[in-house]
Amino acid sequence: MTPVRAICRRPLFLTAARYALVEHLRNRFAMVLIALFVPVWTALAFWSVPSTPTRFRLRATGQPLTPHGNQLTEITGALNAVTLIVGFMMFAASFTGGHFDRRLALAGYPRTHLVLAKLTSLTLASAAVAVYATALTRTFWRPEQPVLLAAALFCAGITYGALGVAFGSLLRREVEGMFAIVMTSVIDLALQNPLYSSSSDGSVVRYLPSYGAMQAATGAGFSTTPLPKYLTIQAGWFTAAALVALLAFHFRTRNTLGGRSTCRRQAGSMPTGSRDRATARS
Amino acid sequence: MEVTGVHHAYGRRVVLRGVDLRLRPGVLAGIVGENGAGKTTLLRILSGELAPDRGTVRHHGGFGYCPQAAVLNDALTVRQHLDYFKVAYGLGDLRRAEEVMEALQFSEYADERAGVLSGGTRQKLNLTLALMHDPRILLLDEPYQGFDWETYQRFWELADRLREDGRSVLVVSHLAYDAERLDVLWRLDGGLLHERTTEPTA
Repeated sequence: MTPVRAICRRPLFLTAARYALVEHLRNRFAMVLIALFVPVWTALAFWSVPSTPTRFRLRATGQPLTPHGNQLTEITGALNAVTLIVGFMMFAASFTGGHFDRRLALAGYPRTHLVLAKLTSLTLASAAVAVYATALTRTFWRPEQPVLLAAALFCAGITYGALGVAFGSLLRREVEGMFAIVMTSVIDLALQNPLYSSSSDGSVVRYLPSYGAMQAATGAGFSTTPLPKYLTIQAGWFTAAALVALLAFHFRTRNTLGGRSTCRRQAGSMPTGSRDRATARS
Repeated sequence: MEVTGVHHAYGRRVVLRGVDLRLRPGVLAGIVGENGAGKTTLLRILSGELAPDRGTVRHHGGFGYCPQAAVLNDALTVRQHLDYFKVAYGLGDLRRAEEVMEALQFSEYADERAGVLSGGTRQKLNLTLALMHDPRILLLDEPYQGFDWETYQRFWELADRLREDGRSVLVVSHLAYDAERLDVLWRLDGGLLHERTTEPTA
């Protein structure tokens, strides 16, 4: 093994993943939102809404359900909190870090590793917030399938996280991205809540970004039927949002000189050969 | 570095109309021009950030690019930036980065987050990230913004050392104050580069 080859074995993924996580953990506003917004929103949703039974048919199971109104609203609140927080965290990182990512890519950092690192941080952030929101839910009432509830919240979180990356890459101003995330979540969840809309099991809502997660989460709360199909639907939404985010990231970090990641020699030593990096348009 | 016939326009506003440029090793060169003349556009094209509408850019060997506005991650410390770019450049150590930090005298900020650094110190880190892999060509866009007089002098000492080591340095600025320090000076005007004398003009 030559010294140059040894240098080539760069800890690319670990370094990028570590710093992506550091960035999220140092996002104080996001940490405050997690610590305060999730419990406040879920608690208010549970306590302020009457516990009157609400009758509706859950498309996922085909069975009529009559859950307490406050428990139903608490599930919507948890979904709303998770999607907003994870969407905001990923938007903030993507919006402020876009130029930095491009600089890293131009310096030779393989974009695949940067993307995998972002995906890892998104997965960990969504998992942590989803487990936290599920644990909070269990302090108020007992969902029938808490693991499925956590999985549904997680899937909704990564979907909105990917949307946050896409918004952060495509929109020019911070306020635009925040508005886009908030309005998407509000429209998405409000239309699906049977307390607000009689069309909650209608045909239009099936095409909303958190439809799969909402069905799975509601089923997790009030039935014992496993609902893997709806987690798969949500995974489809995540895949679509992640593809948009990936394309936006690819476009923003492209190297117009057509350069590829290469191993350079150690600092202080002269390059041994001429490495051409050129661009041509005509 | 060889640049041939580079054109670029933003919509109908034509900024570059056929820029030709050849940078030999061991040369300290400058490009001056008024605000909006297209200096930053040209440097973004040379660095691979922006594709020209027409023309070619050819680099023989690695280069470093220091953008005008410091491109940093505010959540990471100075040391974490260096570690991140060490991996990006595939370096075995941070010897060169530490030398540059010593030369610019900001080693004591190694554990500070970029978000709390002063404008001048951010610019020092911005410059260090462009220099730490000892590139053969250095592209600098207004590199001394926010520097105090002492740091400004140290920057030119550093540039002189790079030239002595056979590196090429291209500095873009809207002022020609530093003309006497340069081997070659071009003026970007009307979308074209015009060679100028390097006698002081300011």
